[in-house]
Amino acid sequence: MFRPVVPRAAPRSLLGPATAAQSTFRASNIYFQDRLRRGYASEAEEKDLVIIGGGVAGYVAAIKAGQSGLKVACIEKRGSLGGTCLNVGCIPSKSLLNNSHLYHQILHDTKNRGIEVGDVKLNLQTMMKAKETSVSGLTKGIEFLFKKNNVEYIKGTGAFQDENTVAVNLIDGGETSVRGKNIFIATGSEATPFPGLTIDEKKVITSTGAIALQQVPKKMVVIGGGIIGLEMGSVWSRLGAEVTVVEFLGQIGGPGMDAEIAKMTQKMLAKQGMKFKLNTKVTKGDDSGESVKINTEAAKGGKEEILDADVVLVAIGRRPYTAGLGLDNIGLETDEKGRLVIDQEYRTKIPHIRVIGDVTFGPMLAHKAEEEGVAAVEYLTKGYGHVNYGAIPSVMYTHPEVAWVGQNEQELKAAGVKYRVGSFPFSANSRAKTNLDTEGIVKFISDANTDRILGVHIVGPNAGEMIAEGTLALEYGASSEDVARTSHAHPTLSEAFKEAAMATYDKAIHY
Amino acid sequence: MPALSPTMTEGNIATWRVKEGDSFVAGDVLLEIETDKAQMDVEAQDDGILAKIIQGDGSKSVQIGTRIAVTAEPGDDLSSLKTPAEDTPAPKEKRAEEPTKQASSQPLKESSSAPAAKSSPPSQTAGKGSAAKAQRQTYPLYPSVQRLLRENGLPKEEADKIPATGPNGRLLKGDVLAYIGRIEGSYSVEQSKRIGELAHLDLSNIKLAQPKKEVTLEELAAAPQTPPVAEGLDVEIAIPISLKAVMECQKRVQESIGVSLPFSTFIARATELANEDLPQSKSEKPSAEDLFNAVLGLDKVAGKKFSRGQFTPQVTALPPTSLRVTKPLTAKQPDILDILAGKTPAARSTKASLIRGAEKLVAPVNVFSVSAPKGDERRAQVFLERVKSALEAEPGRLVV
Ligand SMILES: Cc1cc2nc3c(=O)[nH]c(=O)nc-3n(C[C@H](O)[C@H](O)[C@H](O)COP(=O)(O)OP(=O)(O)OC[C@H]3O[C@@H](n4cnc5c(N)ncnc54)[C@H](O)[C@@H]3O)c2cc1C
Repeated sequence: MFRPVVPRAAPRSLLGPATAAQSTFRASNIYFQDRLRRGYASEAEEKDLVIIGGGVAGYVAAIKAGQSGLKVACIEKRGSLGGTCLNVGCIPSKSLLNNSHLYHQILHDTKNRGIEVGDVKLNLQTMMKAKETSVSGLTKGIEFLFKKNNVEYIKGTGAFQDENTVAVNLIDGGETSVRGKNIFIATGSEATPFPGLTIDEKKVITSTGAIALQQVPKKMVVIGGGIIGLEMGSVWSRLGAEVTVVEFLGQIGGPGMDAEIAKMTQKMLAKQGMKFKLNTKVTKGDDSGESVKINTEAAKGGKEEILDADVVLVAIGRRPYTAGLGLDNIGLETDEKGRLVIDQEYRTKIPHIRVIGDVTFGPMLAHKAEEEGVAAVEYLTKGYGHVNYGAIPSVMYTHPEVAWVGQNEQELKAAGVKYRVGSFPFSANSRAKTNLDTEGIVKFISDANTDRILGVHIVGPNAGEMIAEGTLALEYGASSEDVARTSHAHPTLSEAFKEAAMATYDKAIHY
Repeated sequence: MPALSPTMTEGNIATWRVKEGDSFVAGDVLLEIETDKAQMDVEAQDDGILAKIIQGDGSKSVQIGTRIAVTAEPGDDLSSLKTPAEDTPAPKEKRAEEPTKQASSQPLKESSSAPAAKSSPPSQTAGKGSAAKAQRQTYPLYPSVQRLLRENGLPKEEADKIPATGPNGRLLKGDVLAYIGRIEGSYSVEQSKRIGELAHLDLSNIKLAQPKKEVTLEELAAAPQTPPVAEGLDVEIAIPISLKAVMECQKRVQESIGVSLPFSTFIARATELANEDLPQSKSEKPSAEDLFNAVLGLDKVAGKKFSRGQFTPQVTALPPTSLRVTKPLTAKQPDILDILAGKTPAARSTKASLIRGAEKLVAPVNVFSVSAPKGDERRAQVFLERVKSALEAEPGRLVV
């Protein structure tokens, strides 16, 4: 085998301290001297921490490390910081969602509010420009924060040379290498391709193409009815496309979404014009012609149907991204899904190399990546970090929004837990009524014995903001009664939250 | 002895910064503790008086949970204090304890873990062990807890006696329900345990990916092939490789022993090593043994499908400006014009041409390419990647 050629470096015990506390980062002198003696001196400067990937996980860790006084470098190959989230994910998609919602509302919903608007025209180019302004403002902001916190920003592609050295192929040409006593891998994820369809980001697109289409497609097929598919489907549906969502499972929103909420949401989106084919699998696609043809069939076998579309959005999930990272050079392992294997403190089997964000286990969410960025640095500097994976909220930014935290009914049934459900409709909430925006409910699930809140599930206006309260309640182990006995301002949508809590341990007042 | 990190089991007391009998306020540094990893200051969480130091300056290897001092409430008369008996140290379930004003007239408490409330993991629920522990509730009581206490005629102080299962030892509604017998006592403990588990990533049952080469080989075979060009045509695979490390190594060798090693030596050595155990060629006919193994399913076992390769890379210097390499690997289809013109695809290089080519290298980065029969791209890629890592990582290893 080839392995032995790849430098196995010095014995682990000689490497720099992996979990030194506070400011005890000593030079890992023994290892370095050893290399000098053998004539492998590298002129690269040694950092306390080198981070590969400047996405949410990586940049947050870099800033936190800088604030903690570590010498830190962050390597990013994209040319701008913020990763998937800021450049092609959360931020651009939310810009388009917000503006397409405004457009849709002006088109369909202002007249009965007493606002008569003349000719409403879509200027897609300007809408895209607005998106780009948001994105570039935010990514530049991070660059500024790097400077402020003494983070060295290396623009290029990083690859492991050995356990402490990362070679960087610089974007501006040339290359360099950087040594780190500690290294974080934060290389994120990429869209999972659909076998048989070639992604060209024009006809067959991932979310990256979906935030940058030059014109509104007439017909769009979305493969995968998860959050990203539904958000991007919503954008183009509002702007005039005929959108059909094909989902293999029996519900939209992915497995984390409460089944009852998923059903309600599907009805609301269908009312807005989106079509759904659940329990349906795409068997193959043909992108050779002018349009794309998608063969579908009932998931349990049977009826075949061919869908025709100008644009097909492949949104069947994302997979960890480690291409070109040189994992083989240091013998790091991934699991079957490509996730880098770690322990509870994000360490790989090489303890001074840690992994955070989408490229490892846990939900692929920006705020999860962010929490891990902070926690991983705290493990280095303080020996302890905190991420509560039982209280990470999920939000789908359609209209109305869907948000949840904790466990859903399906999961609790499967775990054999006895629970109580209390819910409250926005149609009975005064603020929602004044806003003429009354679709949706707040639903609490609490333990049948102790009333401890196990999950909160919301579909409705502003669900994404409201879920913060549910998350805090979970973090503190609150009961539905505790929330119900906490004052909520009137008239606000959050009263629906409170009333749902009341309905869980007792009775709602306004329903 | 407070646990200052989740892995700490014992610590040394460097110095007490507060003397016996002195009072302190929240935030004052009480003492310095040393562990194998660090020296840390321990701050007071509340105001108080240091009544007695039990483990003095320089005490070594004090186990977590061992009493190190006794503190009293501000204003207490130290002469009338009695020291309560020490709990057996329970490192996992230490009492996150704070100045305690008990209903009785003995406002004395142990300070074994004064700062622990701050540093103990919030995910650590009291339910982790066997049963929950009561502790002084320093936060405002939850509305549900207050109501239950009132409705059941329990004084507020009673809260400190109720075993608490919430995050960080907080007292929950369920704990009071259990205390007053409305639900089974063990239920809250079990529940906390279950929820505590959800707080962590589930890293059980990790199924490691099969060794990479094999998975990709299979994927390649399974994936629909791009429309076949003419059968049997070779594909050229190219990859940029930096020779910076090699140049540096040459320089060092030259300086230290005065011998000049040509590039060709490095490349030939790297080539030899990289050809070892490559993923099996598509064109190789499986042996009878291979077929038998396939029937048994043994072909899925790692380390089977390998054979020695015969690749020799062609090396072309790259001008430094074309260094934009985001995708390290590019598989070039043969140029149709070349096919029409009857030219054989380039890069069927011989060892001689390689060495000649190699000596001309000047640029720090060069494109290494090989041509491989259709279907063997993966084999060629693996080969090139190995050459790359051998030359870029520690070329010195190639010539010692
Ligand atoms: C359309 C879309 C919408 C989304 N919306 C939301 C949302 O609303 N809310 C939410 O929470 N999450 C959302 N997400 C998910 C979110 O974007 C990710 O969870 C988050 O970006 C993960 O952060 P990360 O740092 O782990 O990885 P990434 O953000 O993917 O960052 C990794 C970075 O590493 C760089 N990199 C990779 N390899 C190398 C290398 N070898 N050398 C140097 N650099 C390298 C990449 O260029 C990339 O910039 C969305 C995702 C998409 C696609």
